Amino acid sequence: MGRRIGRRDLLKIGAASAVAAALGGCEFPRPWVQLEPYVRPPEEQVAGVGTWYASTCRQCPAGCGIIVRVLNGRAVKIEGNPQHPLNEGKLCPRGQAGLQDLYNPDRLQGPVRQAVRGSRQYQAISWEQAITDLRTGLAQAGSSLVVWADCTISGHLLDLFERLTAALGAPPPLVFDLYTALSGYAALSSADALLFGRAALPAYGVEEADVVLSFGAGFLSTWLSTTHYGVAFGSFRQRPLGQRGYLVQFEPRSGPEAAKADLWVRLHPGTEALVAQALARLIADAGEGPPDRVARARAWAPAVDPAAISAMSGVPLEDLRRLASTFVTAGRPLAIPGAALTGHGDAVAQAAAVQVLNVIAGAAGLGISSGPPAEGLLTAVVAPYGRVQRLVERMRAGQVGALLVWGAANPAYALPPALGFVDALKQVPLVVSFRPIVDETAVWADLVLPDRTYLEAWGYDVVEPSFGMPLVDSQQPVVQPLYNTRATGEVLLEVARGIPVAAAALPWPDELAFLRERIAALPAGVFNGAGEEVRWARFLQHGFWQLAPGPAALEAPQARLQPVMVPAPSFQGAAGEFPFFLYIYMPVLLSDGRGADKPWLVGSPDPMTTLMWQTCAEIETNTAIKLGVTYGDIVRITSPYGEVEVPVYVLNSVRPDTIAIAAGLGHSALGRFAGEEAEGPNPMALVGAGADASGASMAWANIRVRVARTGRRVALAKFEDTRGSYGGFVNQAFADQYL
Amino acid sequence: MADATQAEHKWTMVVDLDKCTGCQACVVACHAENNVPIRNKSEVQANRAQHWIRIERYWVGDPPAKARFLPMLCQHCNRAPCEPVCPVYASVHSQREHLNLQVYNRCVGTRYCNNNCPYVVRYFNFYDPYFPAPLTEQLNPDVTVRTAGIMEKCTFCIQRINRAEQQARTEGRDLGPDEVIPACVQTCPPSALLFGDLLNPESRVSKVLADNQRALRVLEHLGTEPAIYYLKGGKSYVRF
Repeated sequence: MGRRIGRRDLLKIGAASAVAAALGGCEFPRPWVQLEPYVRPPEEQVAGVGTWYASTCRQCPAGCGIIVRVLNGRAVKIEGNPQHPLNEGKLCPRGQAGLQDLYNPDRLQGPVRQAVRGSRQYQAISWEQAITDLRTGLAQAGSSLVVWADCTISGHLLDLFERLTAALGAPPPLVFDLYTALSGYAALSSADALLFGRAALPAYGVEEADVVLSFGAGFLSTWLSTTHYGVAFGSFRQRPLGQRGYLVQFEPRSGPEAAKADLWVRLHPGTEALVAQALARLIADAGEGPPDRVARARAWAPAVDPAAISAMSGVPLEDLRRLASTFVTAGRPLAIPGAALTGHGDAVAQAAAVQVLNVIAGAAGLGISSGPPAEGLLTAVVAPYGRVQRLVERMRAGQVGALLVWGAANPAYALPPALGFVDALKQVPLVVSFRPIVDETAVWADLVLPDRTYLEAWGYDVVEPSFGMPLVDSQQPVVQPLYNTRATGEVLLEVARGIPVAAAALPWPDELAFLRERIAALPAGVFNGAGEEVRWARFLQHGFWQLAPGPAALEAPQARLQPVMVPAPSFQGAAGEFPFFLYIYMPVLLSDGRGADKPWLVGSPDPMTTLMWQTCAEIETNTAIKLGVTYGDIVRITSPYGEVEVPVYVLNSVRPDTIAIAAGLGHSALGRFAGEEAEGPNPMALVGAGADASGASMAWANIRVRVARTGRRVALAKFEDTRGSYGGFVNQAFADQYL
Repeated sequence: MADATQAEHKWTMVVDLDKCTGCQACVVACHAENNVPIRNKSEVQANRAQHWIRIERYWVGDPPAKARFLPMLCQHCNRAPCEPVCPVYASVHSQREHLNLQVYNRCVGTRYCNNNCPYVVRYFNFYDPYFPAPLTEQLNPDVTVRTAGIMEKCTFCIQRINRAEQQARTEGRDLGPDEVIPACVQTCPPSALLFGDLLNPESRVSKVLADNQRALRVLEHLGTEPAIYYLKGGKSYVRF
């Protein structure tokens, strides 16, 4: 503005405008003051009016679309992107809590160096110094460099890492974390390769199904695309013409899925795949139902004895017969393999044994509908556990010159201590973490070069599984970066500039140039746009780019005709010494532990136990009586590989012979909320170093344990029985009558 | 107590118990939208957890009992037991919109309302809220942060109601039938939660509740006339 305007001046201007209006289009002499708009109007700073940015949720690998409300430069609320076909405007609790990644008080504010690993004495360094150190380390490591990323890595960053490792002659980045390990990504994907000749994560059309047999799948809590399955579950329960889908959950413990199921089959741990095989056999033998399904069942059902499986699983033969009949006569039946069956035996064969039911139903299209990845774009493919085992061996043998760990992979927390990762780390000359917060792995790192959180960073994500809708999500900064952090993509480009072989492979001036080049190669999508600029703007505006589904995307792949055999489950630990089965699961809020540093997640009640800030050993009522323990008693749980001390929670949602423990807590780092306030065990301490027979999965689901009292107690931070309504007015009688 | 003749809106929520998966998305969304503090472990152990909406988990049937989820939040009763006991009119009824309001700057913290609420959905701030910087940045500027000594509860996201009404007024039109969406309803993945104006026959809640045999209200026999209707879980007629 030319000068300060007082009230009188404003009146004059008003008068002038009135005259100007009266004079119409006549030329008017220059007024006393000239009103000028801001040269750069602060569009984000209209008081009280929010600006919404579309981006992508990175709390799990699903790739839901989000929109973030930004007020005065602060991100204040995350909602689901209503346009996004995967989550249709909805969001799970972990997605809602994304703001606390951004505003976590324990974030690193700049790059640091740790002179003595494990000392937690971090010394702030400049980015120039950090990049020089990293460059020296990489040049020395050369082909012995290893990059370890978690599954939520942006495609462009994975691409840059791949180019860097390729230029140095190092193996491609390893993608592995606890979330995908405990969901069985690698095994599920290999099972589809075995059956359909294409490795892809399965995607199930729950909303279209009328009978769903879920073999332990936590699809409403933490498995694959939970928000999509949540939306689908709403439709499943309210199908057209007043129909209501029928859900059967086979699981030794009741999570939200078994709670919502019409029938919860509390089978013996480890027998899920066997039951699927028995059902296939019974369908073939009974000959009931559509002839094509029966014919496929006869071709596919392995020669198993349903009576023997009934005895092994504890499911009465009559129930198995009825379930087989229900399945084969349903309009659109569907079978879903869960996580636990990918944690023992031959994980790939077990997942395939369940998928065979979809082949029999002719619902392979319902069972696998992932589209092919978009051309030139990368999606993170989870490495089989065998590769992790070999890497730790190589580290121990001193064959790894530098280890770069990106994101929430956190191997020092995620891997069973029996594997000896932390020990092997000592043989690695340079360990670098890029996590924005110090986690258990960063505790053993030489350098921590904090990346930006996903609400401050650029990226793209090829949605996988895509449910037949090939989608590429866009990720953009919604606020100014909070601290002196630097995008890992920028760091890599800068580091590469000083290493001649890498410089040629990574010639881009900055990561945005690289990202835009990748995106420009996308074929035309549903948002028409002429020219690169317009299409880039629409990519950011909508938060995703939907590709026209190719014919291959929806067509059911050709199934290979060969029965899959699953052996009887075997357990780690002798039955006499270890009388209980251990059932590890990822809870809704904490998932694999990446929720533990956010008060909204770790401080909200778990749906089944109602615990906040704590996880417990879940023990069935009668078992607890026999053991002489009750709520809050601390017990020592011992497996052949380790032990944890954990308070008891008594409930009827587990089998009497099973102890369930949630993953996600037991942190020794990850900030004040996870590391100091929350208390609970890390159940990975009870898991051995071994893999399943296929080498795809960690053998985490066939562990036997024993329980011993310690005589100590702890107060439980639970919701149940604490509010008056819980056992007060809205009481059991109401629940029995109406719920 | 409400006088139906003055009412312009009757804000109503429908909770489909058949769809609710207990996932807690509503709980976290409410914390984010309404600046509800998360209480730390020792506060929770002292039974002072604070969630405007909570998922109650019940066991029903013979062992192995099945879990059932009941989302519980302020029922915005038409005849609210919390209102007549407040000595300072902090807990008052909006005649116009059929809402139970909590006027924070009147509240002196007697906790009579909490004592009288049969649903136990009022939460007293025994402690000041604790948002270590920069968690303060996440706070929603549309909603007051309550200090220690104040009673608080679900407002049906009144800031969103006001914003939508203001928007409609600015554009010189009536409020649309489903224009107001509270944070919990917006995020609910299976759409177990619905919200709308029961006085508007075009709203989704009116349509869902018209002749719905699954609809029930919690503790209806107390005569509180809650504004939240629950749809009872259904049964599948699949041959088994």
